[in-house]
Amino acid sequence: MLTKIHHVGIVVHSADEALKFYRDALGLPVTADKVIDDQGVRGVLLQIGNSEIELLEPTRDDTGVARFLANRGEGMHHICFESDDVAKELEAARQKGIELIDQAPRLGLAGMICFLHPRSNHGVLIEFATPIEGQHGH
Amino acid sequence: MDGIGATHIDHIVISSSDAAVVADTFRRNLGIEIKRTMTRPGTGAQLAFAKLQEIILEFAGPPAPKPGDEVKARLWGIVLAVRDIRAAVERLRSLGYDVGDPKPAVQPGALIATIKSGTHGVPFALIQYGTPPATPGAAT
Repeated sequence: MLTKIHHVGIVVHSADEALKFYRDALGLPVTADKVIDDQGVRGVLLQIGNSEIELLEPTRDDTGVARFLANRGEGMHHICFESDDVAKELEAARQKGIELIDQAPRLGLAGMICFLHPRSNHGVLIEFATPIEGQHGH
Repeated sequence: MDGIGATHIDHIVISSSDAAVVADTFRRNLGIEIKRTMTRPGTGAQLAFAKLQEIILEFAGPPAPKPGDEVKARLWGIVLAVRDIRAAVERLRSLGYDVGDPKPAVQPGALIATIKSGTHGVPFALIQYGTPPATPGAAT
């Protein structure tokens, strides 16, 4: 069961520049800041209420995030729903015939994650996440 | 840390060519309950709403979707709830951001203001429900 919106992902040219707005002006605290090499992104999570904003800065040119930035510019990239069992959500999506990007959950900044293909949701990229205890604020 | 007194994400707006169709897809695919639909006064825009804990998902679309066209949607913008919208606007302006004056929102008694610069491609607005706390300028 999807329990809440865990975060919204925003693609930016430079996380450091974007932090001037999100952290310094809005006053949102950073809960995680990590380069994920295999995804070619630097991800920064900022807490807001019971949810988070995730800034995504591409670190290579050959990734989906980099292509998004090149084609559309900075902006909202995906929405992540939290579940207590991401594998169960993924299987339920498969049973419904929803097109998947990930065939199995994998480790991400928000915990164990998977993505549904935007084609199944009119162009909106959707992530499911089950946070890992002690990974960061969730 | 100084800030604008933001308490939570109030709305995430999903813009589309047909709000009803997109909301129904999210209902079927994700099991999200659509709690309300409405026509926005003045513009006639079609709106549908779901809520997960503190965050409202707002599906927005044109007054009259074109039948037969492929329905497209995209994540569009974010509305942050703040305790004191005037103090929040003042702080952002003092930092050089272009922010509109607070004005009445669709929600009764609420005020909304748009951040017009420096948001890195994301349309941003602030909303205040009810009256701000008694302490003037308490925007942290």
